[in-house]
Amino acid sequence: MTLSALDPGTAPYLDLSDPTFSIRSEPVRQARAASWYARTPYGLAVLRYDDVQKLLRHPKLRQGSYLWPQHNDVTGKFATWWMSMLLCQEGDTHARLRRMANPAFSPKLIADLLPKFQALAGRLIDRFAKKGECDFIAEFSEPYATGVICDLLGLPFEKWRELADIAGDMGLALGVTFKRDLPIIEAATEKLFAYAEELVADRRANPSDDFIGMLVKANADKAQLSDQELLDMIVLAIFGGIDTTRNQLGLAMSVFIDHPDQWALLAERPELGKAAVEEVMRVRPTVTWVTRAATETFTYNDLEIPQGTTLHLFSQSAGTDPAVFPDAGFDITAERKAHFGFGGGAHHCLGHFIARGDMTEALKLLARRLRNPRLNGEAQWLPDSGNTGAISLPIAFDPEA
Amino acid sequence: MKVHVDMSICLLHGQCVIAAPEVFSFDDEGQLQWLADVDDGLRADVEAAADACPEQAIRID
Ligand code: HEM
Ligand code: SF4
Repeated sequence: MTLSALDPGTAPYLDLSDPTFSIRSEPVRQARAASWYARTPYGLAVLRYDDVQKLLRHPKLRQGSYLWPQHNDVTGKFATWWMSMLLCQEGDTHARLRRMANPAFSPKLIADLLPKFQALAGRLIDRFAKKGECDFIAEFSEPYATGVICDLLGLPFEKWRELADIAGDMGLALGVTFKRDLPIIEAATEKLFAYAEELVADRRANPSDDFIGMLVKANADKAQLSDQELLDMIVLAIFGGIDTTRNQLGLAMSVFIDHPDQWALLAERPELGKAAVEEVMRVRPTVTWVTRAATETFTYNDLEIPQGTTLHLFSQSAGTDPAVFPDAGFDITAERKAHFGFGGGAHHCLGHFIARGDMTEALKLLARRLRNPRLNGEAQWLPDSGNTGAISLPIAFDPEA
Repeated sequence: MKVHVDMSICLLHGQCVIAAPEVFSFDDEGQLQWLADVDDGLRADVEAAADACPEQAIRID
């Protein structure tokens, strides 16, 4: 029998609009055990690994955030950028933009940046290693995530604060006060575009093979990547790369504080750094779900999903699905299937080589230099849903001699 | 040039289809199809696909 997603039916209900809702709660685990999907105030939640994987690349679904400015009745510079940038494009236009951007994000290009990431991590750790305490977000993950983007763009590290503030202001657009904050968001958008224009002008005058240089090369054929699309892509890399990395590294530290033996193991065996990143993102992804919208009515697993339905694909609940991860304890030495912390399908994170590379270098060095990390006061958290993470994370550790 | 895809780690993201549509495609069942023996003229595209694959499942010989 085919059920419709519009029928209340017997599927579990998860109230995502409740500010205390947690993606890691017992109700979510129970819902996942009972059903592949749950109903929510905003459409469906998809809970199991196999279904998240299939729906991430389902041809009847498109990325679900493209109408966000419209839903908030907002127009202007931010809204125009949002609707035209890669994440909100589909089909041929998305494929063309992604093909043009690929060389700038290739693993070879990123490999060249790893020594810079190591130097950056070392420099930040030097500032607090002897103190034996720090706010991990303010003193490490935020300057590091932004410093990495500075390295990528070829900007001096000293620009990090300014860039972090602009990205933070622009990020207000993703919150519930989008419309109220619009003047701040518009000003930040304008500043970020001015940055992008400056970078492009510089690489046109001094051609190079770095990130911006590769994008400028792709822009040589304007039919393939127009001037506007070039700027849109640079703005997206800055906007999409900072908060995600800051939050994911904070989550990593918090997970390792709960698993001191694993931290000690990583200190001893730095070659586990890459696996450590994957294992953290499996159990504690900052992007706890990605959204998709049905472009036409279709049937999946005997459920009729009407056109326009929003689906939340729960990466966190997929990554801990006992059907795929039966011994799901946190273990950086375990062989695991891939997680969905970078999404999947056509919109799979374009910056994942950068993020994986920079987080690997950071965790390796942190584990070696910050011994016995522990909580040192009350951490402040974003809601445990949507894009989550710590706002502040006071930690203590053995002071470096 | 020979193209291999390790289907034990491929998650069907389709980034290879985006990067090199002459070589990689999805069939009607949504399964990945690819040309195992490719003309060297397409090498740049196949290398771009191998680079772009999130699971790094593509090998070129
Ligand atoms: C730990 C850090 C990061 C996480 C967890 C992350 C996560 C994600 C996720 C889940 C998506 C898919 C969104 C969706 O399908 O709705 C995505 C897309 C994207 N990310 Fe990341 N990201 C990270 C870092 C970065 C960095 C450093 C960059 C760039 C420098 C970046 C650039 C992008 C871009 C351009 C897209 C859009 C791809 C497309 O639509 O084709 N990300 N990211
Ligand atoms: S990009 Fe990689 S994982 Fe995705 S379909 Fe192609 S080979 Fe498979």
